[in-house]
Amino acid sequence: MPFDQAFKISSILLAIIAFSGLVFAQSVPFWIAIPTAIILIVTLCDAGGIALVRRAMAQVTVSPTIWNVLLIGAFVIFLIDLTAVSQDLLPAGIHFLVMLLGIKLLTLQQRCDYRHLYAISLMAILASAALTTDAWYLPIFLLYLLGAVWTLLLYHLTQETTEASAVITPTSMAAGHATFLGRITQRFFWLTNGIAVMTVGLTLAIFFVIPRIGAGVLQKTHGEALRTTGFSDRVDLGTIGSVKQDPQIVMRVELPDQPTVAKDRLHLRGLAYDQYNGRSWSHSGTRRRSLSLVAEGVFLARPAGSRLPDSLSVPIRQDILLETLDTPVLFAAPFAELVSGDFLAVQIDGMSGLHLPLSPSSRARYSVTSQVPQLVAGDQAAMVLAYPDSIRSRYLQVPVESQQVADLAHRVVQQVSTPFRQTLAIQQHLLDNYRYSLEADTATLNHPLDEFLFVRKTGYCEHYATAMVMMLRTIGIPARLVTGFLATEWNEFGGYFTVRQRDAHAWVEVYFPQSGWITMDPTPSVSAAAGTSRWESIRRFGESFRLQWDRLFVRYSGKDQLAVVHEVREGSDALRERVSSWISALSAPIGHVLTRLARMSRIVQPGVLECITGVVVVGLALLLLMLRDRIGLWASMHLSIAPSQHAIVQLYARMLRTLEKKGLSKLPAVTAAEFARQVERKWGAAGPVVADVTALYHQGRFSRVPLLPKELSRAAEQVGRLQSLLRATH
Amino acid sequence: MRVVLNLHASSVFSSLRGLSRRRSIRLTPEGTRFLLFTFGIGLAAINTGNNLFYLLLAMMLSLIVISGLLSEHCLRRLEIRRHVPDLIMANEPTTLTLSVSNRHRHLPSFSLRVLDVVEGQDVDRGLAIHLLPAQSSILLSYPLLATKRGWIRFEGIRAQTLFPFGLFLKKGFYATEAHLLVSPPIKPLALRFMDELVSEGQGESLSRRGHGTQLYNLRLYQPGDDSRSIHWMTTARTSQLIVRETEEEDQRRILIVLSIVAPDESEPLFERSVTFVASLLWQLTERTYPVRLIVGREDSGLGSGSAHLFAMLRLLALCERHPPETNEINHGGEYLSLPHETDRGYTVAVVPWSEQAASTSAIQADRVLHAAQLEELTHAF
Repeated sequence: MPFDQAFKISSILLAIIAFSGLVFAQSVPFWIAIPTAIILIVTLCDAGGIALVRRAMAQVTVSPTIWNVLLIGAFVIFLIDLTAVSQDLLPAGIHFLVMLLGIKLLTLQQRCDYRHLYAISLMAILASAALTTDAWYLPIFLLYLLGAVWTLLLYHLTQETTEASAVITPTSMAAGHATFLGRITQRFFWLTNGIAVMTVGLTLAIFFVIPRIGAGVLQKTHGEALRTTGFSDRVDLGTIGSVKQDPQIVMRVELPDQPTVAKDRLHLRGLAYDQYNGRSWSHSGTRRRSLSLVAEGVFLARPAGSRLPDSLSVPIRQDILLETLDTPVLFAAPFAELVSGDFLAVQIDGMSGLHLPLSPSSRARYSVTSQVPQLVAGDQAAMVLAYPDSIRSRYLQVPVESQQVADLAHRVVQQVSTPFRQTLAIQQHLLDNYRYSLEADTATLNHPLDEFLFVRKTGYCEHYATAMVMMLRTIGIPARLVTGFLATEWNEFGGYFTVRQRDAHAWVEVYFPQSGWITMDPTPSVSAAAGTSRWESIRRFGESFRLQWDRLFVRYSGKDQLAVVHEVREGSDALRERVSSWISALSAPIGHVLTRLARMSRIVQPGVLECITGVVVVGLALLLLMLRDRIGLWASMHLSIAPSQHAIVQLYARMLRTLEKKGLSKLPAVTAAEFARQVERKWGAAGPVVADVTALYHQGRFSRVPLLPKELSRAAEQVGRLQSLLRATH
Repeated sequence: MRVVLNLHASSVFSSLRGLSRRRSIRLTPEGTRFLLFTFGIGLAAINTGNNLFYLLLAMMLSLIVISGLLSEHCLRRLEIRRHVPDLIMANEPTTLTLSVSNRHRHLPSFSLRVLDVVEGQDVDRGLAIHLLPAQSSILLSYPLLATKRGWIRFEGIRAQTLFPFGLFLKKGFYATEAHLLVSPPIKPLALRFMDELVSEGQGESLSRRGHGTQLYNLRLYQPGDDSRSIHWMTTARTSQLIVRETEEEDQRRILIVLSIVAPDESEPLFERSVTFVASLLWQLTERTYPVRLIVGREDSGLGSGSAHLFAMLRLLALCERHPPETNEINHGGEYLSLPHETDRGYTVAVVPWSEQAASTSAIQADRVLHAAQLEELTHAF
């Protein structure tokens, strides 16, 4: 493909990529998006050389005046958009930018037009960066970078080819190289892509290294918060059901300290409710206290100086990435001990619910260390539990018309004696006798709990949890309703729970004097979205990718840079320690020997050590002298012989084979000279011949003087003579 | 110690100076716009703290860094050699050749533009190399028109590239110092003047071989000799092919003496006189006369042929005019340093300027060409 054509195509593709970014960011209304997309496709076809489009484009001639009028029109639309329609600079600016893109695509003539197109594309990709934090931006960005490298390179090369060049006389160029100039060759293709790959690598390196400074002078956040239900001060029974089909992701929860724990389910506590009026739950106390700041961004949830409840508690740390929600509630496993995040303040209510002062305007990443209380043996076995008055007064409230519920509760627990077993019995009753269904809409009913317990006997988590709380309270066991999320979707690729809107859940916390509030869930588990198909795997992989994208790119901060530096420093320290330990491990035996030698040197008289060393050196030299013959023999046997020695060795071997036919075999223990003498004694006629060949063999094989060609030919003649003698004797 | 430190500092500074001389970088208009966009995106990233803006900023910065790296790669391991002739004529176009080699083992160089560095200035000869594969070389030739006689000093070659994105113009200096000698131009002389000169020089002949009748020498036949010149008698006597060489009949020795004393206002005439002498030497060499040139104190000696002509042209190329008041060459009003030889041959003295008081008749030359005659002879130059 010629450079010119490739240049046009890459320029338009760059514009397409930038435009796609805006479209994915849902910032372009269809009445602008569709015409712009058509213009992009048409100009791409035109640049690609499709004859039909090219002919049609050639026939359409529009005067510059009309283009100027169109530009002015676009600006007028922008002003109207800014003042009346969008009433915001960013969306109005994006609409204007897209209109400019369309007009510029239709007027691509001069090189300055292409430069304007690149500027518009850059502004478009910048605008889409401002509008989104989603993971789709990464492939768009990478494609844009690839396109930018191609376009910039071709822009430069096409400019160069159009300039006048001097007379060039290639002397050693291969013929193929001449075609490099002006055309996209395979080599050029891979070279450009290689540059793009280099640029990507360098971009990532710079991105992670560049200091993060956020002045925030004109900062403005965009994006709509996710609407949640069940986390307000008053929750009507049945409201959670409206979101139980919503697959939107609310948060992602990692458990960094429990990598091998079975990730089946995790209750993420939001708010607790203590007052039920028969139709809705509410708080009795709305006072919140600010958590004490123990370090920068670290808040202590437990009041300073207080001690843990007298129970066995399991610490669990969660790293949570919370999407932008319309509630200031922070979610965490019960019960939060330490909260760390980029927050100015964190508050806690009377029922251990965590709150931010305001709803976060963007995604929030925070870590929570929770102490999950476990039921102690004393509470399990106690026949009667003595509850504090503060608990009794607050968590035993029931609506006045709950006699039917109380009867049911008493019926269920009549066979069991201890409060703990009664709790279990009620939970089991609900699990066994009621059917989970999201179709049970009770929000409009006057007595939704009675409807659930006695009429429909179908419901969802709110009904189950409310029923259990009410039944427990009617038999004198303090309990409260908790709303939050039940995380069940474990992403094995990313190692985290994906929590969606449909995971909104309600459960029960039962109070035990020694153990504290114990989580109990009477709702039967529903395996709704536990897909195992390949599509599910791909989806979970995508989820994991999005989380990594968010962590590494969207949420990457100066703190992360410091953490990386710290880790690198720690890693280098560890490496240095390891290397030094290796060196010390290696040097220990040597040092030991040297120490012993030094000690010996101190013990023996001065000068004796030198004598010993001298004796050892002289002894080694003598040993080498004595063994030199054996070393030479070993070398002659084992080391490869030089090519020049091959001929005499082969001739000698041929002589030995000839003598064998005569019955004269050379034993391995017999040297060549001894064998020659043996031959002389036994076969006198062949004696001189064999002696001569043996002498030549000695010279050629073992001396440093190589045989001359005439000596080799003499050896060959002697071997031939020996064969003649052999034939003569036969 | 202080001396050592000073030495170290001076060596560091000199190496830095050398580095800055070898490499320089300049922003192109596109590069300026690119940097402005980068600056804008950087501001947006700092203002908003948006990491995706930082990502775009990193992309822009990486494109800048890649530009620098690739342009450096294009200029590194280039080996440039210059091939210049020994002598060229002024006002006559000459072809100079550059050999550019890429000594890189694997990677080619792209988009190179090669400039001459003459007297500290980059001179664009329009030499461009779009692609120079690894381990290969290319010959670039360009015409050079020297307008003045004397030395032209080529300090080196500057190679520059806009590769890969055209954002920066990176230049590299390659020290390939070369000197090119430019002789005065050769101009046609008036035929009448040449005829007069030749006829006046009769009698100043020198025995030498040539086309004539007098025997000059006998020698062995060599391939290419004219068979008519075989001396058959000697050939028969010696049984070897012997040819006879004859003496050139019309052979005269000519000495040309150029006065280099002239005031500033006579500079044009002096230059024209130098051109005249060069043209005269050319004509005489064409006619195979043994010629000798004396310029100031420089003496070419007697000789003929093209090699001798070039030696004489070198003298003319390098001769410098001396103003009369600073003339230290010829004391006592002498304009010429004529040899005191009796057999110096026919002598032509070229005196572009002489004092009014001094008489050119005092010059011991067969023919003296003074300013007025030179004006007449060289007015067409």
